[in-house]
Amino acid sequence: MVGVGGSSPLVSTISLNTLFICYSYLYMIKVYKAKSIITMNPSLPRAEAVAVRDGLILETGSLDSMKPWLENNDYEIDDQFKDSIIVPGLIDPHLHPSMAAVLLPTFFITAMEWKFPWGDTPATTSPEEYDKRLKEALSNPTHKDIFITWGHHDLWHGPMSRSRLNKIEQKKPIVVWNRSFHELCMNDGALDYLGITEDDIKGASQIDFDRGRFFELGLGYAIQKLNPYILDPDIFREGLLKLKEVVHFGGQTTIADMAVGLFDFDNELNTQLELYENDNNPFRVELIAHATALINYAGGSNIEAEKLISKLPERNTHRLNFRKRVKLFTDGAFFAQVAQLMEPGYIDGHEGEWLSTPEQFEEVARIYWNQGYAIHVHVTGDLGLELAIDTLEKLQFEKPRFNHGFTLEHFGLSTPEQVYRLSKLGANVSANAYYVHELSDLYANHTVGFERASSMSRIGSCFREGVTTSLHSDFTMAPAQPLMSMWVAVNRINEKGVLMSPEERISPQQGMEAITINAARILGLDHEIGSIRAGKKADFTVLAQDPLEVDPMTIKDIKIEATLFEGKVFHISNR
Amino acid sequence: MIPLTIISGYLGSGKTTLINQLLREAKKPIGVLVNDFGELNIDEELINNEDSLTISLNNGCVCCKLNDDLGVSLEQMKELNVEAVVIEASGVAIPIKIANYGLSWPGFHLFGILSLVKGRNLKHLLSDKFVSKTVKAQIIQADRVLLNRVDQEAIEMISALTQDFLIEEEVESYWDLLFKEMNGSNKKEDSEDYPHSNFQSSVLETERLINIERLQNYLNNNISIERAKGWVRDEKGKTWLLQMTKNDCNFSISNYETGTRMVLIHTKDLDITSLEPVYA
Repeated sequence: MVGVGGSSPLVSTISLNTLFICYSYLYMIKVYKAKSIITMNPSLPRAEAVAVRDGLILETGSLDSMKPWLENNDYEIDDQFKDSIIVPGLIDPHLHPSMAAVLLPTFFITAMEWKFPWGDTPATTSPEEYDKRLKEALSNPTHKDIFITWGHHDLWHGPMSRSRLNKIEQKKPIVVWNRSFHELCMNDGALDYLGITEDDIKGASQIDFDRGRFFELGLGYAIQKLNPYILDPDIFREGLLKLKEVVHFGGQTTIADMAVGLFDFDNELNTQLELYENDNNPFRVELIAHATALINYAGGSNIEAEKLISKLPERNTHRLNFRKRVKLFTDGAFFAQVAQLMEPGYIDGHEGEWLSTPEQFEEVARIYWNQGYAIHVHVTGDLGLELAIDTLEKLQFEKPRFNHGFTLEHFGLSTPEQVYRLSKLGANVSANAYYVHELSDLYANHTVGFERASSMSRIGSCFREGVTTSLHSDFTMAPAQPLMSMWVAVNRINEKGVLMSPEERISPQQGMEAITINAARILGLDHEIGSIRAGKKADFTVLAQDPLEVDPMTIKDIKIEATLFEGKVFHISNR
Repeated sequence: MIPLTIISGYLGSGKTTLINQLLREAKKPIGVLVNDFGELNIDEELINNEDSLTISLNNGCVCCKLNDDLGVSLEQMKELNVEAVVIEASGVAIPIKIANYGLSWPGFHLFGILSLVKGRNLKHLLSDKFVSKTVKAQIIQADRVLLNRVDQEAIEMISALTQDFLIEEEVESYWDLLFKEMNGSNKKEDSEDYPHSNFQSSVLETERLINIERLQNYLNNNISIERAKGWVRDEKGKTWLLQMTKNDCNFSISNYETGTRMVLIHTKDLDITSLEPVYA
């Protein structure tokens, strides 16, 4: 501004200086030096320093190249990461905090190894080991009335029965919850404690003929009795706090809750707000509403649900945000083997499940498509995927859109022809690569045969067809560790150590894209996060080794030392 | 015990129309559970007038059955002194899965599954890329199939799948059909655990050792047995995983150490003592 008089120039100057000093103090530039910075910005892929102010990146490059920023401003060089590798803050674009919150307070006995901030869960792969581990766990004192363990799987651990549990422990209440969530088993103590009588359990301990598996038909009855214990508000909070540790431990600075409303919309949202919206939380949560679950909540129709969802951004806070996105479903769950398959279907002839009629799916998709939403569709089998692609094709014909963000989530089984079609239609893929690791052997030998099983999570083809492709955990379906997802997608080694469809592997560079910039694109946040470049948020993950240089088989073992969320450092403690 | 029937059928087959008709007819309070996403079409006036109750169920996510509306609602129904409960399955529900659920819920007696078919849509649905298998399952698993809007072609197509069908015009009272006739003429009758067809299941759990060859012979030649699965322990102390269907009987060695425990799915005339010769 041009001065209009000379009456008090001195005073003005002093106050301006004071302001300037305050500003410098609060918004001092911090320069992080690293052994190398993987920027994921294709125009400047590597750097050795990054300058940050007020949570934003000012410049990446070298101390030399960023001189113009430093010459006229106060700055501080932080070299605590000088021997480390900085990558963009890792992003998990699809997990379920509320499911995790229910599960994390339980004791894990699993066929796969799970790493947690509080200790590792070793792989337990035989019935004998399972029983041994359960016995050990029970010998430790606990404050909980009921001992609930999760992760049991018939194929590794043998069939579970009341008598088997009673042999281990008859009195103390034990509940064994199957890995698929669809079965559970109780000992006498748990039945007593929950007031379930002999007569009840007689009806409830039957067999699912459709699947030819031992299956608790009375599951719903049991779950209802258990609900007070597993959905107890204190336990739920404990679970969400544990998830916070898990997310940080996995090096993630952004996660997406890909179905808000799964259990109870208000409770899920409010508890996350209460626990995650504070300066000590090292990540943001993108919230995507579960369209069908919100129908009743909104007043009974899809139109009302859309209206409600369109207003959800009004509830946004700094870290927790709804955008113009919605979650839909086509077919059943992959772990439970109820995905819908095209011919020749399942080896044993059982049928998959639809979650709504194809007509209803199309109707709902049309409502959101025409209102301009990015639609995320849960698809697991190739027929479920086919429905999503056919629907997208129709909608594109009716009302063409570009860069529309229609995303195929999970992407269990697919065909090369489907990858071609979805690419032409402009769809994105957010894949659960972990299926290949945990399920491909099972699917090869028991479910669909080797040919189809080996190419589940057909990610290499997606990259070749130019599809924007990200990796997610769907936690607790897979560990919430993007480096683990990347490791599976890059190596495709299953739990038996067998290489499954080497043609569908991706390069480490592509793997890194899938857990950073592509994941950001899939959430519509690529202008703010997902790479390290001037103007983006200062979200970083600090690694002990270079994921693009190490032996690809060791990617999952790279130590994560810290994360930075909008410029604030959050160390990960050695345990 | 509260009688329970399941109304199944694909979208547009007339499930809601039938339930509205039933509510109009009913002289006693009925509980209706609508197991479907989407809009509730039951005529609310009917419900109020007749002292009946409708609950819309949200199935939640299939990855997780925590959101167990069906179970909660069945418990509610018990409290409310309804005389009978009807579950309107979703258009894509595999009815036997809901039936299994109903069977295992204390306090309810499953009368059976009624599947509705709109004759005019049948040809199209049975050749549909996405739902042909679901619709076929709905027809095959039903205790009764109720056809509406029929023509000769639809009757022929249905006849190829089931003999237990009737045409809408033949129904005089839906209440009688659902809560009298279905009970008496129900295929499952006293079989408590397999809600469709003539099959029932038995679990064979024994510490006695078994001769695998004789068991294989027995399973292959016994026409009463439809399927079998489980673990079998032989006289050498080895455990075998058994998987038997109509076409194939397969034993594979298992590392799992257990006594014999298998499930047999069989017709009612199976005499379990006929298994005696398979023991070692």
